[in-house]
Amino acid sequence: MREAVIQLVTAFVGSLGFALLFGMRRRHLFYASLGGLVSWGIYLGVLELSGNVFFSCLLASMFAMVYSEQMARFRKCPATLFIIIAIIPLVPGSSLYYFMSYAVLGEMETSASYGHQTVIWVLAIAAGISFVTAIHELRSKRNQNPKIS
Amino acid sequence: MSLEHEQRADLLECLLDMGELLLECGAEISRVEDTLSRVGRAYGASHVDAFVITSLISLSIEFSDLDALTETRRIYSSAGTDFYRLEKINELSRHTCRELIPLPSLRKSLNDISKIKKDDRLIVLGSVLAAGSFAIFFGGSIWDGAVSSVFAVFVCLLQSYLGNTEVSTAASNLMISFLIGIGVGVLCKYATMLHMDKILIGDIMLLIPGLAMTNSVRNMLVGNTISGVVRLTECFVWALALAGGFMTAMLLLDILL
Repeated sequence: MREAVIQLVTAFVGSLGFALLFGMRRRHLFYASLGGLVSWGIYLGVLELSGNVFFSCLLASMFAMVYSEQMARFRKCPATLFIIIAIIPLVPGSSLYYFMSYAVLGEMETSASYGHQTVIWVLAIAAGISFVTAIHELRSKRNQNPKIS
Repeated sequence: MSLEHEQRADLLECLLDMGELLLECGAEISRVEDTLSRVGRAYGASHVDAFVITSLISLSIEFSDLDALTETRRIYSSAGTDFYRLEKINELSRHTCRELIPLPSLRKSLNDISKIKKDDRLIVLGSVLAAGSFAIFFGGSIWDGAVSSVFAVFVCLLQSYLGNTEVSTAASNLMISFLIGIGVGVLCKYATMLHMDKILIGDIMLLIPGLAMTNSVRNMLVGNTISGVVRLTECFVWALALAGGFMTAMLLLDILL
Protein backbone atom coordinates (compact mmCIF):
# COMPACT_ATOMS: atom_id res chain seq x y z
CA MET A 1 0.00 0.00 0.00
CA ARG A 2 2.77 2.35 1.02
CA GLU A 3 4.55 1.48 -2.21
CA ALA A 4 1.45 2.31 -4.25
CA VAL A 5 1.13 5.72 -2.59
CA ILE A 6 4.79 6.50 -3.26
CA GLN A 7 4.36 5.47 -6.89
CA LEU A 8 1.26 7.61 -7.32
CA VAL A 9 2.92 10.67 -5.81
CA THR A 10 6.07 10.24 -7.89
CA ALA A 11 3.97 9.55 -11.01
CA PHE A 12 2.28 12.90 -10.47
CA VAL A 13 5.52 14.80 -9.84
CA GLY A 14 7.29 13.00 -12.68
CA SER A 15 4.51 13.84 -15.13
CA LEU A 16 4.63 17.42 -13.92
CA GLY A 17 8.36 17.44 -14.57
CA PHE A 18 7.87 16.28 -18.14
CA ALA A 19 5.06 18.77 -18.68
CA LEU A 20 7.46 21.55 -17.65
CA LEU A 21 10.21 20.07 -19.78
CA PHE A 22 7.92 20.05 -22.81
CA GLY A 23 6.97 23.68 -22.30
CA MET A 24 3.34 23.17 -21.37
CA ARG A 25 1.31 26.25 -20.51
CA ARG A 26 0.92 26.89 -16.83
CA ARG A 27 -2.86 26.65 -16.91
CA HIS A 28 -2.77 23.07 -18.22
CA LEU A 29 -0.07 21.80 -15.85
CA PHE A 30 -2.25 20.46 -13.06
CA TYR A 31 -4.73 18.59 -15.24
CA ALA A 32 -1.98 17.11 -17.40
CA SER A 33 -0.09 15.76 -14.38
CA LEU A 34 -3.33 14.50 -12.87
CA GLY A 35 -3.77 12.41 -16.02
CA GLY A 36 -0.42 10.72 -15.31
CA LEU A 37 -1.41 9.99 -11.72
CA VAL A 38 -4.82 8.56 -12.57
CA SER A 39 -3.60 6.40 -15.45
CA TRP A 40 -0.98 4.86 -13.15
CA GLY A 41 -3.67 4.39 -10.51
CA ILE A 42 -5.83 2.53 -13.02
CA TYR A 43 -2.87 0.40 -14.03
CA LEU A 44 -2.21 -0.56 -10.40
CA GLY A 45 -5.89 -1.20 -9.69
CA VAL A 46 -6.49 -3.39 -12.75
CA LEU A 47 -3.23 -5.24 -12.17
CA GLU A 48 -4.37 -6.03 -8.63
CA LEU A 49 -7.66 -7.46 -9.92
CA SER A 50 -6.54 -9.19 -13.12
CA GLY A 51 -2.83 -9.89 -12.64
CA ASN A 52 -2.25 -9.25 -16.35
CA VAL A 53 0.25 -6.54 -17.26
CA PHE A 54 -0.83 -6.15 -20.89
CA PHE A 55 -4.49 -5.84 -20.01
CA SER A 56 -3.85 -3.36 -17.18
CA CYS A 57 -1.65 -1.20 -19.33
CA LEU A 58 -4.15 -1.32 -22.18
CA LEU A 59 -6.99 -0.15 -19.96
CA ALA A 60 -4.81 2.54 -18.39
CA SER A 61 -3.82 3.96 -21.76
CA MET A 62 -7.39 3.77 -23.03
CA PHE A 63 -8.47 5.77 -20.01
CA ALA A 64 -5.61 8.22 -20.58
CA MET A 65 -6.80 8.84 -24.13
CA VAL A 66 -10.44 9.33 -23.13
CA TYR A 67 -9.30 11.72 -20.42
CA SER A 68 -7.13 13.62 -22.92
CA GLU A 69 -9.93 13.93 -25.47
CA GLN A 70 -12.21 15.35 -22.80
CA MET A 71 -9.54 17.72 -21.53
CA ALA A 72 -8.85 18.84 -25.08
CA ARG A 73 -12.50 19.65 -25.51
CA PHE A 74 -12.89 21.56 -22.24
CA ARG A 75 -9.57 23.35 -22.32
CA LYS A 76 -9.52 23.97 -26.08
CA CYS A 77 -6.14 22.60 -27.06
CA PRO A 78 -4.86 19.51 -28.92
CA ALA A 79 -5.39 16.18 -27.13
CA THR A 80 -1.77 15.27 -27.87
CA LEU A 81 -0.59 17.58 -25.12
CA PHE A 82 -2.49 15.67 -22.50
CA ILE A 83 -1.99 12.16 -23.80
CA ILE A 84 1.78 12.49 -23.95
CA ILE A 85 1.92 13.52 -20.29
CA ALA A 86 -0.73 11.02 -19.16
CA ILE A 87 1.18 8.01 -20.52
CA ILE A 88 4.55 9.08 -19.11
CA PRO A 89 4.33 6.82 -16.03
CA LEU A 90 3.37 3.90 -18.30
CA VAL A 91 6.39 4.34 -20.57
CA PRO A 92 8.64 1.33 -19.97
CA GLY A 93 11.80 3.24 -19.10
CA SER A 94 13.02 0.76 -16.54
CA SER A 95 12.52 -2.41 -18.58
CA LEU A 96 14.14 -0.75 -21.59
CA TYR A 97 17.11 0.10 -19.35
CA TYR A 98 17.50 -3.45 -18.00
CA PHE A 99 17.01 -4.83 -21.49
CA MET A 100 19.95 -2.78 -22.75
CA SER A 101 22.18 -3.28 -19.78
CA TYR A 102 21.80 -7.10 -19.66
CA ALA A 103 22.31 -7.25 -23.43
CA VAL A 104 25.62 -5.43 -23.09
CA LEU A 105 26.65 -7.64 -20.17
CA GLY A 106 25.99 -10.66 -22.39
CA GLU A 107 23.20 -12.13 -20.23
CA MET A 108 20.95 -12.73 -23.18
CA GLU A 109 18.17 -14.64 -21.45
CA THR A 110 17.51 -11.98 -18.82
CA SER A 111 17.86 -9.31 -21.47
CA ALA A 112 15.35 -11.05 -23.73
CA SER A 113 12.77 -11.25 -20.96
CA TYR A 114 13.09 -7.49 -20.32
CA GLY A 115 12.94 -6.88 -24.06
CA HIS A 116 9.76 -8.91 -24.20
CA GLN A 117 8.29 -6.82 -21.36
CA THR A 118 9.20 -3.59 -23.13
CA VAL A 119 7.45 -4.73 -26.31
CA ILE A 120 4.32 -5.68 -24.34
CA TRP A 121 4.19 -2.24 -22.68
CA VAL A 122 4.78 -0.30 -25.86
CA LEU A 123 2.15 -2.33 -27.73
CA ALA A 124 -0.40 -2.02 -24.96
CA ILE A 125 0.00 1.77 -24.72
CA ALA A 126 -0.12 2.28 -28.47
CA ALA A 127 -3.07 -0.08 -28.94
CA GLY A 128 -5.06 1.56 -26.14
CA ILE A 129 -4.56 5.04 -27.58
CA SER A 130 -5.30 3.98 -31.15
CA PHE A 131 -8.44 2.14 -30.12
CA VAL A 132 -9.93 5.21 -28.43
CA THR A 133 -8.80 7.47 -31.29
CA ALA A 134 -10.57 5.21 -33.79
CA ILE A 135 -13.82 5.33 -31.82
CA HIS A 136 -13.52 9.07 -31.44
CA GLU A 137 -13.01 9.52 -35.18
CA LEU A 138 -16.00 7.34 -35.99
CA ARG A 139 -18.16 9.39 -33.68
CA SER A 140 -17.04 12.76 -35.04
CA LYS A 141 -17.58 11.51 -38.62
CA ARG A 142 -21.11 10.51 -37.71
CA ASN A 143 -21.75 13.92 -36.22
CA GLN A 144 -20.69 15.48 -39.51
CA ASN A 145 -18.63 17.97 -37.65
CA PRO A 146 -15.30 18.32 -39.40
CA LYS A 147 -12.78 20.26 -37.39
CA ILE A 148 -9.15 20.31 -36.41
CA SER A 149 -9.09 18.82 -32.97
CA MET B 1 -10.88 33.72 -52.76
CA SER B 2 -8.51 33.45 -55.67
CA LEU B 3 -4.81 34.10 -55.33
CA GLU B 4 -2.37 35.50 -57.83
CA HIS B 5 0.45 33.23 -58.88
CA GLU B 6 3.06 34.85 -56.61
CA GLN B 7 0.70 34.66 -53.69
CA ARG B 8 0.25 30.98 -54.36
CA ALA B 9 3.99 30.51 -54.09
CA ASP B 10 3.91 32.45 -50.81
CA LEU B 11 1.13 30.24 -49.57
CA LEU B 12 3.13 27.13 -50.39
CA GLU B 13 6.10 28.59 -48.54
CA CYS B 14 3.94 29.42 -45.51
CA LEU B 15 2.43 25.95 -45.47
CA LEU B 16 5.84 24.30 -45.61
CA ASP B 17 7.04 26.48 -42.73
CA MET B 18 3.95 25.60 -40.78
CA GLY B 19 4.53 21.90 -41.39
CA GLU B 20 8.16 22.16 -40.41
CA LEU B 21 7.28 24.00 -37.21
CA LEU B 22 4.67 21.40 -36.33
CA LEU B 23 7.16 18.57 -36.85
CA GLU B 24 9.77 20.40 -34.76
CA CYS B 25 7.31 20.70 -31.89
CA GLY B 26 6.57 16.99 -31.96
CA ALA B 27 3.18 16.93 -33.68
CA GLU B 28 1.90 13.63 -35.01
CA ILE B 29 2.25 12.99 -38.73
CA SER B 30 -1.49 12.83 -39.24
CA ARG B 31 -1.92 16.23 -37.59
CA VAL B 32 0.66 17.82 -39.89
CA GLU B 33 -0.91 16.39 -43.04
CA ASP B 34 -4.38 17.30 -41.87
CA THR B 35 -3.46 20.88 -40.92
CA LEU B 36 -1.67 21.55 -44.21
CA SER B 37 -4.62 20.28 -46.24
CA ARG B 38 -7.16 22.29 -44.30
CA VAL B 39 -5.23 25.55 -44.37
CA GLY B 40 -4.40 25.08 -48.05
CA ARG B 41 -8.04 24.54 -48.94
CA ALA B 42 -9.07 27.49 -46.80
CA TYR B 43 -6.93 29.68 -49.04
CA GLY B 44 -8.73 28.45 -52.12
CA ALA B 45 -6.75 25.44 -53.24
CA SER B 46 -9.05 22.92 -54.89
CA HIS B 47 -6.79 20.05 -53.99
CA VAL B 48 -3.96 19.65 -51.50
CA ASP B 49 -1.64 16.66 -51.37
CA ALA B 50 0.58 16.55 -48.34
CA PHE B 51 2.96 13.70 -47.80
CA VAL B 52 4.82 13.96 -44.52
CA ILE B 53 7.40 11.76 -42.90
CA THR B 54 9.62 12.75 -39.99
CA SER B 55 12.42 14.00 -42.23
CA LEU B 56 10.54 15.30 -45.27
CA ILE B 57 7.46 17.23 -46.32
CA SER B 58 6.24 17.01 -49.87
CA LEU B 59 3.37 19.34 -50.64
CA SER B 60 1.32 19.99 -53.76
CA ILE B 61 -1.40 22.58 -53.98
CA GLU B 62 -3.66 22.65 -56.96
CA PHE B 63 -6.13 25.36 -57.96
CA SER B 64 -9.29 25.11 -59.97
CA ASP B 65 -7.67 26.83 -62.95
CA LEU B 66 -5.34 23.81 -63.11
CA ASP B 67 -2.39 25.76 -61.79
CA ALA B 68 -0.45 23.48 -59.46
CA LEU B 69 2.60 24.05 -57.32
CA THR B 70 4.78 21.43 -55.66
CA GLU B 71 7.67 21.74 -53.33
CA THR B 72 9.63 19.45 -51.09
CA ARG B 73 11.24 20.37 -47.81
CA ARG B 74 13.87 18.32 -46.10
CA ILE B 75 13.58 18.47 -42.30
CA TYR B 76 16.91 18.29 -40.53
CA SER B 77 16.09 19.06 -36.92
CA SER B 78 15.18 15.97 -34.96
CA ALA B 79 11.80 16.30 -33.35
CA GLY B 80 11.72 17.76 -29.89
CA THR B 81 8.56 18.41 -27.96
CA ASP B 82 7.30 21.93 -27.42
CA PHE B 83 3.71 22.07 -26.31
CA TYR B 84 3.51 25.84 -26.18
CA ARG B 85 4.42 26.37 -29.81
CA LEU B 86 2.33 23.39 -30.85
CA GLU B 87 -0.69 24.95 -29.23
CA LYS B 88 0.08 28.31 -30.84
CA ILE B 89 0.31 26.85 -34.35
CA ASN B 90 -2.83 24.88 -33.76
CA GLU B 91 -4.66 28.04 -32.73
CA LEU B 92 -3.29 29.83 -35.78
CA SER B 93 -4.45 27.11 -38.17
CA ARG B 94 -7.90 26.93 -36.61
CA HIS B 95 -8.16 30.69 -36.80
CA THR B 96 -7.12 30.65 -40.46
CA CYS B 97 -9.73 28.05 -41.32
CA ARG B 98 -12.47 29.99 -39.54
CA GLU B 99 -11.74 33.39 -41.04
CA LEU B 100 -9.04 33.91 -43.62
CA ILE B 101 -6.21 36.15 -42.59
CA PRO B 102 -4.11 37.85 -45.29
CA LEU B 103 -0.99 35.94 -46.27
CA PRO B 104 1.49 38.54 -44.96
CA SER B 105 0.00 38.36 -41.48
CA LEU B 106 0.02 34.55 -41.62
CA ARG B 107 3.71 34.81 -42.49
CA LYS B 108 4.27 37.20 -39.59
CA SER B 109 2.46 34.97 -37.09
CA LEU B 110 4.51 31.97 -38.23
CA ASN B 111 7.74 33.90 -37.83
CA ASP B 112 6.70 35.04 -34.38
CA ILE B 113 5.89 31.50 -33.30
CA SER B 114 9.15 30.14 -34.66
CA LYS B 115 11.08 32.63 -32.55
CA ILE B 116 9.54 31.55 -29.25
CA LYS B 117 12.09 29.82 -27.04
CA LYS B 118 11.43 27.61 -24.07
CA ASP B 119 12.34 28.98 -20.67
CA ASP B 120 15.63 27.33 -19.66
CA ARG B 121 14.86 27.50 -15.95
CA LEU B 122 11.64 25.56 -16.47
CA ILE B 123 13.50 22.93 -18.50
CA VAL B 124 15.99 22.42 -15.67
CA LEU B 125 13.23 22.35 -13.06
CA GLY B 126 11.25 19.87 -15.14
CA SER B 127 14.25 17.58 -15.65
CA VAL B 128 15.13 17.67 -11.96
CA LEU B 129 11.57 16.80 -10.93
CA ALA B 130 11.19 14.11 -13.58
CA ALA B 131 14.54 12.38 -12.96
CA GLY B 132 14.15 12.47 -9.18
CA SER B 133 10.60 11.16 -9.17
CA PHE B 134 11.21 8.38 -11.65
CA ALA B 135 14.27 7.14 -9.76
CA ILE B 136 11.94 6.74 -6.75
CA PHE B 137 9.01 5.57 -8.89
CA PHE B 138 11.01 2.62 -10.19
CA GLY B 139 11.95 1.54 -6.67
CA GLY B 140 14.85 3.75 -5.61
CA SER B 141 15.28 5.35 -2.19
CA ILE B 142 14.88 9.05 -1.52
CA TRP B 143 18.67 9.40 -1.77
CA ASP B 144 18.68 7.78 -5.20
CA GLY B 145 16.09 10.34 -6.23
CA ALA B 146 18.18 13.21 -4.92
CA VAL B 147 21.33 12.06 -6.70
CA SER B 148 19.35 11.45 -9.88
CA SER B 149 18.02 15.02 -9.67
CA VAL B 150 21.51 16.43 -9.33
CA PHE B 151 22.69 14.54 -12.38
CA ALA B 152 19.59 15.67 -14.29
CA VAL B 153 21.03 19.20 -14.18
CA PHE B 154 24.14 17.90 -15.92
CA VAL B 155 21.98 16.11 -18.50
CA CYS B 156 20.24 19.42 -19.21
CA LEU B 157 23.49 21.33 -19.55
CA LEU B 158 24.99 18.71 -21.84
CA GLN B 159 21.84 18.50 -23.92
CA SER B 160 21.65 22.23 -24.44
CA TYR B 161 25.36 22.37 -25.24
CA LEU B 162 25.20 19.51 -27.74
CA GLY B 163 21.88 20.72 -29.11
CA ASN B 164 23.59 23.84 -30.43
CA THR B 165 26.09 21.79 -32.40
CA GLU B 166 25.67 19.53 -35.41
CA VAL B 167 26.02 16.38 -33.31
CA SER B 168 23.36 13.78 -34.11
CA THR B 169 20.95 12.54 -31.46
CA ALA B 170 22.63 9.14 -31.35
CA ALA B 171 26.09 10.62 -30.85
CA SER B 172 24.89 13.06 -28.21
CA ASN B 173 23.08 10.25 -26.37
CA LEU B 174 26.29 8.25 -26.47
CA MET B 175 28.34 11.09 -24.98
CA ILE B 176 25.82 12.15 -22.37
CA SER B 177 25.22 8.61 -21.15
CA PHE B 178 28.96 7.95 -21.02
CA LEU B 179 29.63 11.04 -18.89
CA ILE B 180 26.62 10.45 -16.62
CA GLY B 181 27.64 6.80 -16.32
CA ILE B 182 31.15 7.79 -15.19
CA GLY B 183 29.77 10.31 -12.69
CA VAL B 184 27.16 8.03 -11.15
CA GLY B 185 29.51 5.04 -11.24
CA VAL B 186 32.26 6.80 -9.30
CA LEU B 187 29.78 8.14 -6.77
CA CYS B 188 28.20 4.72 -6.21
CA LYS B 189 31.60 3.10 -5.68
CA TYR B 190 32.10 5.27 -2.58
CA ALA B 191 28.53 5.82 -1.42
CA THR B 192 27.39 2.23 -1.11
CA MET B 193 23.85 2.95 0.05
CA LEU B 194 23.00 4.26 -3.41
CA HIS B 195 21.47 2.06 -6.10
CA MET B 196 23.21 2.79 -9.34
CA ASP B 197 20.56 1.28 -11.63
CA LYS B 198 17.72 3.33 -10.11
CA ILE B 199 19.67 6.58 -10.36
CA LEU B 200 20.55 5.87 -13.97
CA ILE B 201 16.95 4.93 -14.83
CA GLY B 202 15.78 8.27 -13.44
CA ASP B 203 18.27 10.13 -15.58
CA ILE B 204 17.73 8.15 -18.73
CA MET B 205 13.98 8.64 -18.52
CA LEU B 206 15.04 12.07 -19.81
CA LEU B 207 16.99 10.56 -22.70
CA ILE B 208 15.32 7.25 -23.33
CA PRO B 209 13.15 7.13 -26.44
CA GLY B 210 10.30 5.34 -24.67
CA LEU B 211 7.85 8.06 -25.60
CA ALA B 212 9.09 8.31 -29.17
CA MET B 213 8.88 4.53 -29.39
CA THR B 214 5.28 4.52 -28.20
CA ASN B 215 4.39 7.28 -30.65
CA SER B 216 6.03 5.47 -33.54
CA VAL B 217 3.96 2.37 -32.91
CA ARG B 218 0.93 4.62 -32.65
CA ASN B 219 1.81 6.16 -36.02
CA MET B 220 1.94 2.70 -37.55
CA LEU B 221 -1.41 1.72 -36.08
CA VAL B 222 -3.14 4.77 -37.53
CA GLY B 223 -1.71 4.17 -40.99
CA ASN B 224 1.45 6.28 -41.16
CA THR B 225 3.58 3.19 -41.47
CA ILE B 226 6.67 4.73 -43.06
CA SER B 227 7.09 7.41 -40.39
CA GLY B 228 6.42 4.83 -37.73
CA VAL B 229 9.08 2.48 -39.03
CA VAL B 230 11.61 5.27 -39.53
CA ARG B 231 11.09 6.59 -36.02
CA LEU B 232 11.09 3.14 -34.44
CA THR B 233 14.41 2.35 -36.11
CA GLU B 234 15.81 5.67 -34.91
CA CYS B 235 14.63 4.81 -31.40
CA PHE B 236 16.54 1.54 -31.47
CA VAL B 237 19.67 3.34 -32.60
CA TRP B 238 19.25 5.95 -29.84
CA ALA B 239 18.65 3.26 -27.23
CA LEU B 240 21.72 1.36 -28.42
CA ALA B 241 23.78 4.54 -28.20
CA LEU B 242 22.54 5.09 -24.63
CA ALA B 243 23.39 1.53 -23.67
CA GLY B 244 26.76 1.82 -25.36
CA GLY B 245 27.64 4.98 -23.43
CA PHE B 246 26.62 3.62 -20.03
CA MET B 247 28.26 0.28 -20.50
CA THR B 248 31.53 1.74 -21.76
CA ALA B 249 31.55 3.89 -18.63
CA MET B 250 30.92 0.82 -16.42
CA LEU B 251 33.63 -1.25 -18.08
CA LEU B 252 36.10 1.61 -17.84
CA LEU B 253 35.37 2.08 -14.14
CA ASP B 254 35.74 -1.66 -13.51
CA ILE B 255 39.21 -1.54 -15.00
CA LEU B 256 40.31 1.71 -13.36
CA LEU B 257 38.91 1.35 -9.84
